Amino acid sequence: MALRAALLGVAEGVILLDPDLRLILCNAAARRRLGWVGGSPRRGLALTTMLEHAGALDTAERMTIREHCAALLAEGAMPAIGRDSAAAEKELAFGDFAMRLRWLDGQGVMLSIPMGGDGGEVALRDPLTGLGNRRAFQAALAAALARPETEAALLLLDLDRFKHVNDSLGHPVGDALLRLVAQRLRASLRGGDTLVRLGGDEFAILLPRAEGAEPLAERLVDLLSRPYLVEGHLANIGVSIGIARAPADAAEGGMLLRRADLALYAAKAAGRRQFCLFRPEMDARAQARQALETDLRRAVALGQFHLHYQPLLEVASNEVIGFEALLRWEHPARGMVPPAEFIPLAEEVGLIVPIGEWVLRQACRTAASWPETVLVAVNVSPVQFADGARLLRAVDEALASAGLSGTRLEIEITESVLLRDAAETLATLHDLRGRGVRIAMDDFGTGYSSLSQLRSFPFDKIKIDRSFVSEIEGESGGKAVVRAIAALGASLGMTVTVEGVETEAQAAFVATSGGHQMQGYLISRPVPSDAVAALLAGRPASARAGLARTASSDGA
Amino acid sequence: MTKQELHRVVYCSRVRLSGPPAGIARELRDILATSRRNNMRADLSGALLFANNCFAQVLEGPRVAVERCFERIQNDPRHSDVTVLAFSPASAREFPKWSMGFAGEPGAAHDPLAFVVFEGAFARDRPESGSAVLGLLHGLVRREEAWALA
Repeated sequence: MALRAALLGVAEGVILLDPDLRLILCNAAARRRLGWVGGSPRRGLALTTMLEHAGALDTAERMTIREHCAALLAEGAMPAIGRDSAAAEKELAFGDFAMRLRWLDGQGVMLSIPMGGDGGEVALRDPLTGLGNRRAFQAALAAALARPETEAALLLLDLDRFKHVNDSLGHPVGDALLRLVAQRLRASLRGGDTLVRLGGDEFAILLPRAEGAEPLAERLVDLLSRPYLVEGHLANIGVSIGIARAPADAAEGGMLLRRADLALYAAKAAGRRQFCLFRPEMDARAQARQALETDLRRAVALGQFHLHYQPLLEVASNEVIGFEALLRWEHPARGMVPPAEFIPLAEEVGLIVPIGEWVLRQACRTAASWPETVLVAVNVSPVQFADGARLLRAVDEALASAGLSGTRLEIEITESVLLRDAAETLATLHDLRGRGVRIAMDDFGTGYSSLSQLRSFPFDKIKIDRSFVSEIEGESGGKAVVRAIAALGASLGMTVTVEGVETEAQAAFVATSGGHQMQGYLISRPVPSDAVAALLAGRPASARAGLARTASSDGA
Repeated sequence: MTKQELHRVVYCSRVRLSGPPAGIARELRDILATSRRNNMRADLSGALLFANNCFAQVLEGPRVAVERCFERIQNDPRHSDVTVLAFSPASAREFPKWSMGFAGEPGAAHDPLAFVVFEGAFARDRPESGSAVLGLLHGLVRREEAWALA
């Protein structure tokens, strides 16, 4: 009994469990550190039930504790001789606090939570802003939703452009700015509202009511977007907010948080500086995305990708001088998935790197079987350029294993590649060039600053975006654009390829406009690799005939 | 506070006050009275212009005081679209005498000069707006020196 009294009073958090993992005691310090929610702990409470009261722990952390307690128990049941004494103790780290689990020979398990630097309270507070932290938030969320028929609204806030301010003005200014943001937020709330900083530039507000979230969000978007004078600097940031409400959108904390997060994602996707309410279709969209990602991960392993090849026709000789390799994904249930649907996702989750490497290997291997004069063009994603060394390695390996000369490989990039870390990207491009590889600028004319991009690197080729070609026959200036780009490319010593040629009139125009190469359905759709040989043998004659016919009918 | 810390901010905002002119005038007097009191204490001086439903304000003083005061102003729901035209260290005060000057009469007809300056100020990429607003305030303050509110 003396021991019990002593343990209840110590500053260190202590929880004692019997050999059945039922509660013997849980002192005040432990309750504080765990963000205890609900009535005081009863003796005999099962560990699982007890952990549900620990508002500061998330589901994964609760499971970790349960698993380790069970493991200690199993270990403790073994005869002492075979036992590893180190295994009788286990230390778990949970972000800002640690928990030590100790097997008390035959008596049960003791969980102890050592004091943080300033005692238990600090574990629930964000030191920078003085607001509650993620743990405090989880405790508040659990407490708010523990009451039956409770109404609540959760607002998740993410600052726009904060990273930019932090990077350009420095961390001390960034920190001071976060304190001002916290002040503005605090000043906008009522007594029962909970405001926390989740970390970085993320904040959350929990309202103990379902109404009133929208006007508050509207006010906060305005208020946080107003300028800041901080440490002698002017800073402009904004905020995006996602809102989910209980019980309408979710009755359980984790789900409410997830749905507010989906709404936040929608607010950001819609252009930031605004708020979005959760809508059920966001869930459906997220699930569809999740499913697509799962399938995409499998597709690499299951070999569901293959390449099609679209010929590049040289205008002067009227011969096919190369092929662009195009990625195709055929999923057993989804059918053919359009690249526009899966490439952006693959880039976002980083899968584009292994996929892109597969494309390089496959395209080089296939091209090795073609006549020596025929080259292969491969699209490389901006994401792949983020790791230039890895990209160079992938190109080297693809060329070496196929026995293909670098001069037969053309890498197509889009302007966005150059928008990233320009110096490193340029170095990678020059290294590729050093291997004899040609560099082509794809989708030319659709980006922001095409001309300055052209000056930044001596591209071997520019490919005029298909959108201009489709306008050749109209009155909207497509012709003038194609002529101008062709002249520009010629003066810079670059080959000019016109994409998306679908009609003979377009082909005739390209032939007279100064374009060097063309590509499009008129010449051929992308074909499987086994159809390439036939194209190389058969296409030039018919193309010549077609071009001659339209050129003469055009009077050129 | 040392002299080197002297900073000046020039900003414009749109007034979010509605109701009869008399009510707006009363609200403006309120704003002015409060800022006079606070600013004197914080060693701040400056000028406030109300015209065409916009505020233009110059605040001068020790940097920390300027930043604090500006932050307080941001939290005021009675205006919006705050646009900072200039914020920098200053060698001397432009409005040393004023704890807060007040130029322009509530409910008065639109001042064409102010209109032009505000149009420029709210449009982005007009680096000269800061000095234009400053000049405008100077002119108006001189013109209406005697009009200052008690």
